[in-house]
Amino acid sequence: MTKRFDLKKFLLNYLVLVAIVLLVIITIIVEPKFLSGDNLTNIMRQFGPLSFVSLGMTFVIIGGFIDLSVGGLISLVAVVTVSLIDPLGQLNALIVGVLFGAFLGFLNSMVLISCGALTQAEALFITYGMSAVYSAVALIYTGGSTQHMSWLTTPQTIFTAIGSGTVGIFSVSFIIFLVCLLLLWIFHNKTYSGRSISYTGGNKVAAELSGIPIKRSVILIYTICGLMSAVGSIVLFSRITTAAPIIGKNYETNAILSVVVGGTTLKGGKGSVLRTVLGVLLITLMSNCMNLLGVSAYMQVVLKGAILVLAIWLDNRKEQ
Amino acid sequence: MEKKDRGIILSIKDVNKSFPGVKALDNVSIEIERGIVHGIVGENGAGKSTLMKILSGVYTKDSGTVVFDGEEIEHTTPIESLNRGLSIIYQEFNLVNTMSVGENIFLGRFSEMHGMRGTHAEARKLLDSIGCSIDTHTLVGELSAAEKQMVEITKALSFRSKLIIMDEPSSSLTSDELKQLFSIIGDLRAQGVSIIYISHKLDEIFELCDMVTVMRDGHVIDTRPVGELTRADMITKMVGRSIEHEYPERPHCVGETLMEVRSINTHKLHDISFELKKGEILGFVGLVGAGRTEIVRAICGADKVKGHEVLIGGVPVHIKKPAHAKKLGIGLLPEDRKLQGLVLRFSVQSNIAMASLDKMRKFGFIDASQERGIAERQIANLGIKTPSPQTTVLSLSGGNQQKCVVGRWLEINPQILIMDEPTRGIDVGAKYEIYVLMKQIVENGGSIIMISSELPEVLNMSNRVLTICEGRITGEFNPEEVSAQTIMDSAIG
Repeated sequence: MTKRFDLKKFLLNYLVLVAIVLLVIITIIVEPKFLSGDNLTNIMRQFGPLSFVSLGMTFVIIGGFIDLSVGGLISLVAVVTVSLIDPLGQLNALIVGVLFGAFLGFLNSMVLISCGALTQAEALFITYGMSAVYSAVALIYTGGSTQHMSWLTTPQTIFTAIGSGTVGIFSVSFIIFLVCLLLLWIFHNKTYSGRSISYTGGNKVAAELSGIPIKRSVILIYTICGLMSAVGSIVLFSRITTAAPIIGKNYETNAILSVVVGGTTLKGGKGSVLRTVLGVLLITLMSNCMNLLGVSAYMQVVLKGAILVLAIWLDNRKEQ
Repeated sequence: MEKKDRGIILSIKDVNKSFPGVKALDNVSIEIERGIVHGIVGENGAGKSTLMKILSGVYTKDSGTVVFDGEEIEHTTPIESLNRGLSIIYQEFNLVNTMSVGENIFLGRFSEMHGMRGTHAEARKLLDSIGCSIDTHTLVGELSAAEKQMVEITKALSFRSKLIIMDEPSSSLTSDELKQLFSIIGDLRAQGVSIIYISHKLDEIFELCDMVTVMRDGHVIDTRPVGELTRADMITKMVGRSIEHEYPERPHCVGETLMEVRSINTHKLHDISFELKKGEILGFVGLVGAGRTEIVRAICGADKVKGHEVLIGGVPVHIKKPAHAKKLGIGLLPEDRKLQGLVLRFSVQSNIAMASLDKMRKFGFIDASQERGIAERQIANLGIKTPSPQTTVLSLSGGNQQKCVVGRWLEINPQILIMDEPTRGIDVGAKYEIYVLMKQIVENGGSIIMISSELPEVLNMSNRVLTICEGRITGEFNPEEVSAQTIMDSAIG
């Protein structure tokens, strides 16, 4: 009796892990190429940008909100950062790019707070609008044309390292990711600000009445999300060495998908960046496997949608 | 034991139910006779709700037998129970606010009633049968709590219920409405319908019930005719020890003026000014909606209010949000513990530590062992019944949940604790413990503002009472010198 109960609980909690293992096994059987060195490097690269954005998104969702602006934000940060490499030098451009992303996230939170919009639904629409603004600014800024890093005169050693450098068997971006993961995990689990975010997502009214700084939490989650999205943006354009003004398209949905599939509840309050890592891994592997197996791009979208619905269903089962 | 089976509508025998870490029901046996009102009393966590949920089919029992109307029931669902003739009316009504009274009564059975005309006609008949004159076309959302209860009862009757279980039916009723409810219950009893009446209010049990079962910690302690028990007996059985009084002795620690509030004005409040003294329990008496809650929310900065003055120890303070209030040592125990007090999906520990975490951070970091210490201290201090500090607060009983919120504020050593309906929905034993806590707080130099809809508790605990009516303070009384009637008159205006 108790044993069966535990198994069920385990499955509900760690279904992502089970899914990842199953997916890998099936793909290896059907398509042994999966294990080739090229493909594994490929997976690690695909994992890159999405994982950063998803880490940021995790905080927004734990805080009980949502951020649809990251798509536009990634595009804008990418084109602005690339355009700054020549005038500022690569290190300064990198720093300004990251800070610019954090600022845009901060801007999101200020718009929300000044609108008095403290529900997830309001955040959904406001950040959707912000995404449109950021995308449009990116298009206006570049005149609609893609920025190629090969046009630049300044050397781009740092960006090349971020985009395609390796240390041993690990890519540089993966190491940066591990550092971010560790810092954000400590921030969430060990600091007062991190805990305040959880309380805010768990019950805003109770949190406010207990003197938890909920506005500060809102500012923090969006700033972190903007910052992490900017890092993701830089990893992304460094790898492909071009920055199109629509480069960030679909990142918001994939990031939310990864967070929710990882097991962070859309209801807010409960979740973890570690879970999100599993979510990103599953989504990345899924894309990779489906590509290897020759699943059409349209069908892949359908499957992703189905996975999201399944994840939300599971989350509600867990509550009972 | 001489009673024959034909007299028994519901027989519960040796029923057990366990949840992880808790034995919610331990060999529970109760027999309910036909045509009587059977009270079930017990503290929070005694197992009353679990038992009701097994009867209605929300939970499945681990072992034991349930025989309803001569038929053994193994597994059931809420709708099967209804069709068998067993209805449960919960504290939170199961009605659709956007549909009419008639539609609610026959929800999902319109075709059996031959359309809406039949539905409303039949609903009218049933409502008349309990002497209720609500128009069947009225939307349920527009009804008062008492009227909604009538609709629930009528709905139960429409299923030809032989047994109606009422869970805390009086919690939202005025005394007149309660009288009406009692007369309806009396009529039902006369028609042979059995009623299980679950309540914390012993007065009601004595007035209404024929039989009473006392439960404690998942056990049935006693079942006997109400006439054989005194109030004190019943309380002793409920809490497992004798409580001499329902209230501790009134504390007398009133000192110098601690807080002055001057002229709060909003669209709902008019020129609210008062003083709170050190070591005082100040009671706010007024009807629900008179503005009691709004006054304390304005003081704590929970509502944005401008133009008033608050002085603490003679020094003007500016409280723009609850965090400022907390810094000044003012804690607010909100009226709705589930919506405003607790983070229900979080652990007991996180809920208790919520207000004091910011005080103990070092360079922004939380000391996990200190946090655990806070939780363990308050769990021991307040006697919170929980399997572990990591248990989700959602799974605790109402009284224990309330203690978690109280513990949260005790941890900041509040100089002023504002308690809005501190004992709502919790039972005698837990209430007494809350009163004792209040006494300890003022004896240790704190001050309390107490808001309550239960007049006896305000009058028995307070040093001073302010009556509030339609957003104005209408009187100030010493409850030791003035009668309850005088105070109530002032509160009604």
